[in-house]
Amino acid sequence: MKKLLAFLKKDFLQESSYRWPLVFGIFGVLMTTLIYYFIDRLFGERVAGPLEDLGVSYFGYVLVGLAFFSYVGFGLGSFSDQIQREQTQGTLEALLVTPTGLTVILLSMGIWNFLIATLDLLIYAGLGLFLFHIDFSRTNVPSLLVIWTLSVSSFSALGILSASFTLIYKRGNPVSWVLSQAEGLLGGVYFPIAVLPAWLQFLAHFLPITYAIRALQKAVYQGTSLAGLKAELLPLLAFCIILLPASFAVFNRAVQKARRDGTLAQY
Amino acid sequence: MADSRFVVAKGITKRFMPLRSLHEVVGRFLDRPSPVTALDDVSFSAERGCLIGLLGPNGAGKTTLLKVLATLLLPDQGRVHIAGRSPEDDPVFIKKNIGLVTCQERSFFWRLTGRENLTFFAALYGLDGPAARKRLDRLLDDFKVDDPDKRFDACSSGTRQKFSFIRGLLHDPPLLLLDEPFANLDAPTRRFLKDLLKKHLVAQQKKTVLLATHEIAEHAPLCDRFLCLKEGRLCLDATAESLRRTHRLDPAAGIQDLLINILESPGTTP
Repeated sequence: MKKLLAFLKKDFLQESSYRWPLVFGIFGVLMTTLIYYFIDRLFGERVAGPLEDLGVSYFGYVLVGLAFFSYVGFGLGSFSDQIQREQTQGTLEALLVTPTGLTVILLSMGIWNFLIATLDLLIYAGLGLFLFHIDFSRTNVPSLLVIWTLSVSSFSALGILSASFTLIYKRGNPVSWVLSQAEGLLGGVYFPIAVLPAWLQFLAHFLPITYAIRALQKAVYQGTSLAGLKAELLPLLAFCIILLPASFAVFNRAVQKARRDGTLAQY
Repeated sequence: MADSRFVVAKGITKRFMPLRSLHEVVGRFLDRPSPVTALDDVSFSAERGCLIGLLGPNGAGKTTLLKVLATLLLPDQGRVHIAGRSPEDDPVFIKKNIGLVTCQERSFFWRLTGRENLTFFAALYGLDGPAARKRLDRLLDDFKVDDPDKRFDACSSGTRQKFSFIRGLLHDPPLLLLDEPFANLDAPTRRFLKDLLKKHLVAQQKKTVLLATHEIAEHAPLCDRFLCLKEGRLCLDATAESLRRTHRLDPAAGIQDLLINILESPGTTP
């Protein structure tokens, strides 16, 4: 825990030494939200059909999707980004030579980005509630917490897999591409997957974000309880059970390979 | 009888496959590149409280050997034991027992102050609270660091190198691995750090120091013993006294020229 706090303090000191990223991060969230708000005003009614089940406007749908996608995307990308950053800064070997476990180093590296992503998430929610008057009153909080836990776990596992790839191949990361591009297209972030052709809908079932987004929309707009979310939560749980231990095993193997090849510090 | 050897390296061999770009892989996919031998069957041992010069020209394998000892690199063959344990069996124990000092300024966080950097690394070595602050203040005082609260990127090369030494000593390790620690330093800072190393860390605190350098003429007088590496092979393992005896040199005579001759002559005589 003390080591984790040391990473957090170090990252805070490092990030706060720059003047503008936090301000422009908040500004970016506002701009993105406004873009989808005006798209909704122009086309919203045309996509209302597939959203009837949820009983929500397109803007309400996309706001939750965007907030969640940005959260897990930022959070899970952080492992890979941090590894790359430590490699390019030249600090990775200095960290690895300390008697700190690999898992602790890896998780600690991501903690700052998770906090920033949480701040973004709260800004999305605040904008939705106070500026755009989205109705979150039916939200089922226990369901939300379970979805959050399962999602963060399974997406962190994907993030760790992505970091393992970065450690070995440095750039051109296919896991990162799947996470940022394929999940955005197929996972129901920007539109319900019902609008996709059948074969793309089939592929969407292999991505954890599809289940996470669907569960989230139901929990937020319909107040669906845990029992009602079984179809979404069980696959998410399965992703966690498979991906978490696999990701740590792969990361350990990646570090061993980099130690064998002498490429730990290369980028 | 207990083994007095604090560091034991036996038959360390390390070969690297040259990294190939996509262009090289596609263009010459039938050609298998030959591995480059960085270390070839290197064996040595070291007792507590001695300063060993790991000498050799650029590319001789000095840094590779230090990285193997520091657990950053896995050897293809051979074993390392530090205080009776190997990195494979107990990496945390090994890391607690070694301090790595390099001339890589980039191994620090440049936008943090020197003190903030060292406090962070102290936490990774398990030091925190008043004990960490006391240890850090003591080391900053020993190394005569004037302004530890200046941002690292605003510090001089000499101060940055002092921070590197302090980081390696935060957890008071019995074994120090130094990789060209005096590179890019002015003469007074070099003299100060060399004195501190020899008189304070080795003579008083009985630390074992492995000093890798290619600047043989300048650093040989500092060392009690020499390991000379040439093209990855150990070509000499001798103390200053035994060299003088073997080559019938005056006890007061410098042995730098002799070491340079050995490294420049063909053949190996471990």
